[in-house]
Amino acid sequence: MNRYLKAVLGIVVLFAIGLVFYFMFSATYGDGLEKTMEESGIQEHGPVYTAPFAYGDDYFAALVAGLIGGGITFGIVYGYLRVARRKRSEAESNETP
Amino acid sequence: MHIPDGLMTPEAVAAGWLVALVTLAFCILKVNRRVDDKVIPFMAILAAGIFVAQMINFPVWGGTTGHLLGAALATILLGPYAAIIVISVILIIQCLVFGDGGLTALGLNITNMAVVGCLSSWLIFRPISRRSERAGVLLAAWTSVFVAAAITAAELTISYDVSGGAYGIVGTLSIPLMLGYHALIGIGEAVITSAIFIYLSKVAPDTLRMKIGKKETAS
Repeated sequence: MNRYLKAVLGIVVLFAIGLVFYFMFSATYGDGLEKTMEESGIQEHGPVYTAPFAYGDDYFAALVAGLIGGGITFGIVYGYLRVARRKRSEAESNETP
Repeated sequence: MHIPDGLMTPEAVAAGWLVALVTLAFCILKVNRRVDDKVIPFMAILAAGIFVAQMINFPVWGGTTGHLLGAALATILLGPYAAIIVISVILIIQCLVFGDGGLTALGLNITNMAVVGCLSSWLIFRPISRRSERAGVLLAAWTSVFVAAAITAAELTISYDVSGGAYGIVGTLSIPLMLGYHALIGIGEAVITSAIFIYLSKVAPDTLRMKIGKKETAS
């Protein structure tokens, strides 16, 4: 388990450092599709659904958003795989009584 | 490359949902049959890592930025079925929790970035990695971004043509712009994916053999 804790800490540290460079160099620019839309004169429509959170416009807001999003992603993938693993064990034990 | 609401024609949106849901159901069936204890924390941490990595855009050229897609990295480490699930979960959370990508376009975003991104990188990685694993990683990562962008450009073009210009972007603009920008963004993807792969091969080589879906991983 120790190595997984190290991996999580490594990701958090790299994310915290990477965000500094993001806000220094790229936060104001769009990605490839946004740039394509901009150069084609396409206006983005309003979203049909308003999400509860945003990525944040400053360093600390983005850091917290990333940690929340990463945590939710971890929880959903972990939870799904645990359920799948338990179902697989139950199915196998039913096959070989 | 997250498509917003209202950009694509309703037919393209519906087709995106169909491809995404059918593929996801197939991948869940495959992964459910093969999942074992050792892969669970690794897959969850990798998913969280790709989520935060996607938030860090790097400058590319001409006022454009790109970020890691992670489809190739997940595919190379987990195999295509688990990778499609991981990238799809990330896209669903980005959309529902952070409003990144339109809700109606979520099916198309899953199709383009998860399904196309993972399958295209797998089709490249498998044959090339038999000769050189590192070349396979490099080319698979670049291909995943470029092919996903090409499919998105095709969807933009078809949406434009089908709707008579009400949706999408005309092909003479969407195809060269999407392919040009993403050919460059793909280089960033290839560099980052290769760096992570080389790092893992040195510090945790067992993580390179955790693919779900291969018979030998079944316990």
